[in-house]
Amino acid sequence: MPAVIEMQNLTVQLGNRTILDRLNGALSGRCIGLLGPNGSGKSTLINTLLGFYEPVAGAARIFEKEIQSNLRELRAMVGYMPESDAFIADMSGVSFVRYMAELSGLPRGEAMERAHEAFFYVGLGEARYRKLGTYSLGMKQLAKLAQAIAHGPRLVLLDEPTNGLDPEARVRMLQLVREIRDTGEVTVLISSHLLRDIEECCDQVLILKDGRIAALCNLEEERKANLKFLELEVTQGNGFLESVRGLGCECAAVGAGRVRIILPDNIDLRQIYRTAAEHTVQIRRMNYRRDSLEDIFLKAMAGNSMPPPPPLLPPPPGSANGRL
Amino acid sequence: MAVYKRTYKAYRGPLTPAWSRFTVLSRYGLATLFSSRPFTAYTVLCFLPFLIYLAYIYLVHSTAAQALLGVGRSMPFTVDNTLFLWFLRSVAPMGFVLAAWGGPGLITKDFANHSVQLYLSRPISRTEYLFGKISVLATLLSCITWIPALLLFFVNAALQGHGWLWENFWIAGSIMLSCLIWIALMSLISMAVAVWVKWRIAATALMLAVFFLLPPIGFVLDAILRTRWGSLLNFVHMVTLVWMHLFRVSATGRHAAGFDAVPLWSAWAMLLSVCAFCFWLLDNKLRAREVERA
Repeated sequence: MPAVIEMQNLTVQLGNRTILDRLNGALSGRCIGLLGPNGSGKSTLINTLLGFYEPVAGAARIFEKEIQSNLRELRAMVGYMPESDAFIADMSGVSFVRYMAELSGLPRGEAMERAHEAFFYVGLGEARYRKLGTYSLGMKQLAKLAQAIAHGPRLVLLDEPTNGLDPEARVRMLQLVREIRDTGEVTVLISSHLLRDIEECCDQVLILKDGRIAALCNLEEERKANLKFLELEVTQGNGFLESVRGLGCECAAVGAGRVRIILPDNIDLRQIYRTAAEHTVQIRRMNYRRDSLEDIFLKAMAGNSMPPPPPLLPPPPGSANGRL
Repeated sequence: MAVYKRTYKAYRGPLTPAWSRFTVLSRYGLATLFSSRPFTAYTVLCFLPFLIYLAYIYLVHSTAAQALLGVGRSMPFTVDNTLFLWFLRSVAPMGFVLAAWGGPGLITKDFANHSVQLYLSRPISRTEYLFGKISVLATLLSCITWIPALLLFFVNAALQGHGWLWENFWIAGSIMLSCLIWIALMSLISMAVAVWVKWRIAATALMLAVFFLLPPIGFVLDAILRTRWGSLLNFVHMVTLVWMHLFRVSATGRHAAGFDAVPLWSAWAMLLSVCAFCFWLLDNKLRAREVERA
């Protein structure tokens, strides 16, 4: 899949502070999560992608176009939902979205039509003639989403879209994001500090720490890779480990009857059961390793670089992580 | 994105020309201003001088009307450059109120609602955004200054006949240039103070202060430093000085000394400097995102 966003030594300074420090990477997911603690540079990266901040060094490209030299063209393709309240309070919802769509270049009639459709799409159809100032927080967030998608952008930048939402509104917002993502017509970039939001929507994650890339990983691949890692709890059985190794699996005993196994592509789980039966070994528990986004995030925060590939050696005793 | 389907669909229809996007801002700006009834009523009131001067011009050329009103031929009825200067001087204060009332709100509202970032994330530049906002004021001020002034000019030309139009065509140029200077000054000061303080009431107060507090300060400076340059802080005075030059009118009577205080070039320089300062302020303060300088 071609990269939607590319960064080459992207460095952004505000005042004398370096906010983004030599970012390199290509983001190509359908839904990209931007994670990081407060002050890590998430919003600055979004603002840089929108052309609000000019890099002091390096460059960023969206759809293979350099941002600063193609601002107008790119902004027509981008929809932006800011983190803070951003609307005109004494304007009706549909007028506001129409206004924004017209600024994006839609003719009056089309802008009005799209504004109505966007409001129905986000579920605010009945409230579209009410003034924005009277909306609840959840409705305001949805109205911001409506203005971000009304002109049919190819890339939607959502800055903390679930901020301040109650659980029901949050579910609704994430559902909308997934629906937009699944159309395949638009790439979504979500900035959030809520790991669960990112995990539920995104297939690629960029984790920032102190303005640097702490991790850039493909969640889909991580999830697939997790299916190859098994942790078994077995009764003692002589020769079981050797037989499993004989199947072509890498495995390690980690004490107290616990065994960790990496399944090669050609090995089926049934063969493990069969081997256990042959050695009269009882499998009392079997888990797939679940290396959640939280694990990835915590590792990224602990270190200062991208997470290394899974090691094949047993972890030191007491390790909380289930990696082999 | 059909309503009944409620699914997301990209837009592939026609787009408006890029150059015309600022007109969207102007259109919505005007609609916002005229949604206020007092503002609409005041704008209508601003056309009163035009009607009075129109009636005056008609009176000058209509003996029947003069007879009806019982005005004798001895009255000094003339329509010349002085009349058009007086027309502009009568509508200028009304336009100032219009700019102070409506101007700052056009921008401060966007700052208050944090919506500048939304505008600038669209395919419009900061310059276009500003041009769109200024064009709201420029349109309003044009409607009460040079457009009615030129209408009066051409009405008089039609009534006067005998080549009056060609002999006095320079007055039309003076009207245009005078109004252009004044509209630029009003619009830029109004926008600059709005962008600077970002609060409508404070911006309006600051605009009033620029025109009503600076002249006394200039007067005090003149008195303390024993100079005449303090009158440069009186922008109304400077504009009047430039207008008098453009309309080829000399100051007479008790006001003559005031207009001789500073040379004409300094008035031009002052007005251009104010406009340049406003541009600088707008360029520095009008940002999608505030940056705290460390």
